Order: sequence, then C-alpha cells, then structure tokens
Amino acid sequence: MVRLSNVTHAFGDETVVEDLSLSIDPGEVVAIIGPSGVGKTTVLRILALFLEPTAGTVTLDGRNVWSLSEENRLQLRRRIGMVFQEASLFDATVERNVEYGLRVRESWRERLRDELWSVLGSNGTPEAVTEALDFVGLSDKLHQEARSLSGGEAQRVSFARALAYDPEYLLLDEPTSDLDPRNTALIEAAVREARDRGIGVGIATHDMHQAERIADRVAVILGEGVAEVGSAERVFENPRDARTAKFVAGELVY
Amino acid sequence: MAIQRRQFIAAVGGGTLAAIAGCSGTSGGGQSDGGTSAGVTGETLTLTTTTSTYDTGLLDEIHPDFEEMYGVTVDAVAQGTGAALESARNGDSDVVMVHARGLEDEFMRNGYGINRRDLMFNDFVIVGPESDPAGIQGMSSATEALTAIAESQSTFVSRGDNSGTHTKELNLWEAAGTEPGGDWYQETGTGMGEALNVANQQGAYTLSDRGTFISQLSEIDLVILVQGPIEDGPEILANPYGIMAVNPGVHDNANYDLAMAYIGWITSPGAQDAISGYRVNDEQLFFPEAVSENPDFQQYVPEGWSSDSDDE
Amino acid sequence: MSVPLEPAAPLFPVVVDLPFREGYVRSIIFVSLYVSVTAVALSTLVSLPVAMLMGFADFRGKQLVKSIINTGMGFPSVVVGLLVLFAVSNQGPLGALELIFTREAMIMSQFVLATPPITAITLAAITGVSENVRDAAHALGGTRLDVALVVIKEARYGIATAILAGFGRAISEVGSVLIVGGNITSADGVSKTRTLTTAIQLEARQGQYDTAMVLGAVLLALVLTVNAIVVRLGDEGAMR
Repeated sequence: MVRLSNVTHAFGDETVVEDLSLSIDPGEVVAIIGPSGVGKTTVLRILALFLEPTAGTVTLDGRNVWSLSEENRLQLRRRIGMVFQEASLFDATVERNVEYGLRVRESWRERLRDELWSVLGSNGTPEAVTEALDFVGLSDKLHQEARSLSGGEAQRVSFARALAYDPEYLLLDEPTSDLDPRNTALIEAAVREARDRGIGVGIATHDMHQAERIADRVAVILGEGVAEVGSAERVFENPRDARTAKFVAGELVY
Repeated sequence: MAIQRRQFIAAVGGGTLAAIAGCSGTSGGGQSDGGTSAGVTGETLTLTTTTSTYDTGLLDEIHPDFEEMYGVTVDAVAQGTGAALESARNGDSDVVMVHARGLEDEFMRNGYGINRRDLMFNDFVIVGPESDPAGIQGMSSATEALTAIAESQSTFVSRGDNSGTHTKELNLWEAAGTEPGGDWYQETGTGMGEALNVANQQGAYTLSDRGTFISQLSEIDLVILVQGPIEDGPEILANPYGIMAVNPGVHDNANYDLAMAYIGWITSPGAQDAISGYRVNDEQLFFPEAVSENPDFQQYVPEGWSSDSDDE
Repeated sequence: MSVPLEPAAPLFPVVVDLPFREGYVRSIIFVSLYVSVTAVALSTLVSLPVAMLMGFADFRGKQLVKSIINTGMGFPSVVVGLLVLFAVSNQGPLGALELIFTREAMIMSQFVLATPPITAITLAAITGVSENVRDAAHALGGTRLDVALVVIKEARYGIATAILAGFGRAISEVGSVLIVGGNITSADGVSKTRTLTTAIQLEARQGQYDTAMVLGAVLLALVLTVNAIVVRLGDEGAMR
C-alpha cells in the first residue's frame, strides 16, 4: 500500500495541499477528483514519490519513503508507473518509448549491449513491450514514430510505457481530459484491466462521471484541503461534506 | 531501412578508422629507424626564416639533401623577419635565417645568436609601371630614385611590416634624407607577392627582392626601373642573408648539435653550389657567399665590431 | 572531389606552375580534418556536461560562466592563437611540453574557439526540451543520469547543429593555427602543420590568387560534405 499521512505541501507561501491522508492498495482504483488547478497533480507527484511534501509522511508498504537514501528511494519509485495529462512521449519510435522503463532498470553493461544492438538494428522486441502494447491495442504501431501518433494513440502508448515494467502502482494525471470519447473508453478499459491484474491505480480527474464509472474509492479535493475520502458509492450518494455535495451536484466549479 | 542504416554507419565508421590509421603513418617525420650512427638521427630541427626566403622554394629544394644525410627532419617555419627572430629569442627554434643585418647584429649582441655565417645574397630592385611617372629608369642611385618618387608624389607601396625588405626600404629613405608620408605612400602590411600585386593594380612603385619579383613576372606588368648590384646597380640595394644558431647557453633546450650540423652543411661547397644552381623561371635567385678563399671576419660579429670597440 | 595532383593543364592551367606534388593537397586536407575534428570532439565532451549543468542546475558563478561563453563566441581567432602561443612557447608555462609548432597546439587553440558556440547552442537546444518529457523520464524510474541522457537524445538535432557550428568555426579559421602551428610542410610537400586555410593564406601572400581560390573551393567542398554527412545521419534516424 502507498499511503499519505497528514501530508501538507506548500509552494513558497501558497499551500496547495493541506493535511491530506490517503492510501492506495493493490487491486483498487482510487480517483482523486476536484476542479482543475486544485492540487491533484501535486498529490499525484507526492504519491509517485518524487515530490517531498513540506509536512507529513509518505510510506510504501510501511517504509517511510523520505527517510531513505536516494538509492533506496529510487528502488521504491521504480515500483510505480505514471501517465501524464500530455502524453510526453520521447521523440523516437513507439517501441523505444515503451521499452524506456525496462532499459533504465537494467545494469549499465546490459544497457550498453542493448543500445549497441538497437543501433545496428538487429534487436528483437522485448516481450514486455509487445504485451504492454497489446494491452492498449496498439501492437501494430511498434515501429511508428511517436510524434506521428494521434492524441488518443499517444496517450495509450504513454499508458503502455508505464505498464511495460510491471509496476505495482499506476498513477494517471487527467489522462483523458484531451481525448475523444472512444479513446477515453479505451483508457478506462485499460484502467479496469490493470486493476483486475492487481495493480493499485490512482487517477486524478475533474470528470465526476469518469470517477463514477471506474473508481472504487474517491478522494474529493476542494480548495486547499480534502473534503472527503471514501468508497465511490458512499461519497456520491451520501456526501458528508457540504462542498462535496455541491461538487457532486455539479454546482461548485472553480 | 534498418539494413541501409547499418551499412551507412559501417561505411562512415570504417572510413574514419582508415583515415586515423593512415594518419599515424604520415604524422611527424624524421622518425627513421636507425641506420647512421650520427647522434642526431631521428631528430627535428626547427628553422625560422622570412616569408620571402621561404616563398622562393629554395629551402624545399635543398633540404632533402641535409635530411637524408643525417636522417633528420627540418621544420622550416616561414614567419617573417621579426617573428623569426622572436621565436629564436624565445627558444622556440634552433636556427634562424634572415636577411636583416641590423636585427641580426642586435640578436647577437643580446646573446641569443652565435656562430653567425654569411650565407648568400641577392638584391633588391625598384620596380614600377612602364610609364615611369617619376622618371627613375636606369638611375644608378637608389636614394636619388626614391627622392624623385617622393618629389613627384608618385604612388609607392611599402610592406610596412618590419620585414627585411621593409627594413631595407626604411634605411633607404633615411639615407635619402626623405621621410615618406602622405597619400602617395601606402603601407600594406602584407607579404611581398601581395604587395607586388597591389602595386601592379595601382601602377605604383615598390621595392622588391629580385627573387619574388621574378616569380611574379607572369602575373604583373611592372618592370625593373632601378637595378640591384647583381645587374650592376647600386651596392646599397644588396640583400645579404645570414644564418645563426640559437645560443644553448641561453636556451638549453635548443638543438645545438643539429643546428651546427645544418650550418655546417649549408655553408659547405656542396650546398652553396646547390643554392647557386637554383632557378625560378630560368633565373638565378641566390648568389652563394659562404665559401671564400679570403677571410671574412665581419660575418661572425656585429658589423663594425672590433676588440677595441665598446661592444662586449 | 578530386583535386588535380598532377598537372591537369586543360582544366586548371594555373596548377601546372605550382608545386602541387603528389599528396600535397591530400596531406593538408588531412591536417585540417585531424586538427578540427579532434578539437571539436574534445570540445563536445566538455560542452555537453557544461550545457547540462547550465540548463538544469544552479550553482555559484553560473552568471560568470554564461558571460565567458558569450564572450568566447566572438573571440577573434588570432587573439586565441596569441594566447596559446604564450602558453606553449618555450618561455611559457607549458614550454616543457614542446608543443610549439605542433598539431597538438593547433588542436588546443581550436578547442578554445569551438567550445563557446557548441556550449551556447547546445544549451539552447536542451532548455528547449519540454519539462514534461523530463518529468516523464524521471517518473518512469530514471536516475538523474537517465534523465540527462533522455534530454540529450531529445535535443539531438540542436546538438548536431551546435557541433556543426563549432566545426565550421574551427575548420575555417586561419589566425590561430597559423601562429601556433607555423604552417610547416616537409620538403617534399607533406603537410605537418599546414591546413587548407593556412595554405590559402600562403598562396595569397605570394599573390597566387588563382591557386588560393582552388584551395578555397576544396575547403568549401569539405565543409559541405561534413554538413551533408551529419544531416544524412539525422535523416536516417528520422526515417525509421
């Protein structure tokens, strides 16, 4: 389980997250919802273990992440995959993008050898890469240049890229806000599939309906603090906080 | 596509490797593997000299004899009179060959140069347009010719670069009692060949060493108006060359052994013959001076030095 | 491009008169390339990390380094030559290494000339890489070094431009290699420290402008070829 306990984060004078406690278990989808700009990305970056909160603790399987050495923290970080709002693919082929996570986890000697082979063009594709692309339905794009993909395809490749190295947790930052309904559905299906395979998924979204569709639990963030954390069913039907009720009803739009 | 790329990379890589391999073969020189037992075998002699000397091609013609004889390499660096002496002064060269007696004397007085020998001579000529606006054709006095040029304000091109030629030119003006200046007097700061071209373009007069003028004949329309001593002109236009070794007492890294071998060789009858036999456009450029029955003590010391004088 | 090494009278009548003995032009092309390519390679090894530091790290003296780079861009080659001369001359601090009039000294001075433009243009290229891409490289489990490598790969076209700019500056300069190299060839015309540019200078000072132009054309062809190779390698990558 990855857990945030009483986490606060401020950028200079601006407090973006206040006293947030949140966890994600393997095999569940947690939606972090709220209006754009409220701090969802910050929460995700803290969950991804590369942003240290100004106060509070972050633990992965009970280990306090920020009290570890950078080396050890790197090992923990590598158990988490992340998909961004903009696909942020590298200027290379789809194959090279998806295999990136695998490469950085190899030893330097292995990496050198693999680099040499791919430059000479005689590499086979790692199985994990083909599997990951199958998962998002883009096996036929293996050798295409990432820059030539459509928005939806790029985001799916981004998903495959995060999935290729078999992470325990997957974090997605508003992955479908720029996509059409078809691609949105594909991503959401992939999220469900990942959850069913035992991956713990955290997804930030401002689309309540998306949260309704795919989340097991939700954390509703309004303003600087958490409004509510609970099972999706409960939060939507029985919101405890008045602000949540308004947001669910579509009233609060920041 | 992948195969094409592989082949292309292999080609570029292979080509680079071949070039580098080829490089180490031709890099440097004089690394001969044994043979003669001369202690200097395999070494490199650094000779600094003037651009006009180098540009005649004489050195490239005669140096192979020396290089073969001792199994060494001569690096001839054409820098110009001032820079050649400066390099020697700094200990960056082993032997220096210039044609500026005044500067050579200073070089010796300051202890940087030793074992000077007169090497060879040629001469300067005053050249100009055929139309000869200053009327100096055939004059037997160089100083009078320059005075005539100054008085008629005819365009005159000067090297303006403290080279041997420029130094001679300034000495001539001084001897003529005229200080050159004004629109008609143009200092180019270039080599002799270029200066001749500039003079040619402008139909101007200039002072040139005979050798460079001869080699430029096909490119320019100027003619010799005042001859030098080789063709019975005034003695003042003589251009003697001297050679000196860099004093190992001042720079202990100077290759004195090899420098002396070089001076010994170039002042020997054999090399002096080769110098006299050197032709450009069928004309002899240099006249040997080193080999003589009669003693010439003045070549070893600054001009005018005697044991009674104030000099050390 | 093949340059007439034997008298090719019909095409280049002026060449007949000149001492273009066997291998002369080849040897000066070789020296030009050897000196400039080595200098640019060394320069890139230094410029890349410096540009990365400048782009992504904060350190004391960063402004100073930036000023040095900007000044270095416009530094006259002949002044650099003088400075290197002072250093490697027998009288200078590096005198004992006997570098005066060698190719190594020429490499030194061209290194000084090429590094500022390569650094500055590389810096522009890598700061142009989107922060999102850097974040992605990091989030996917990359160490700082991994992220740096990703940035370099993303900026590869800009970096190639930088290297070409540095190479252009190096191979076409004449002031510094003339002063520290001495424009030396062996008696049979094999170049020791003579480059295309200093050979052109030599022909020009002798007033042999036609020959100088021929050598100039060779130099131009060389630069265009190198540019073409680099661009071609880049296209090969893009075509996959």
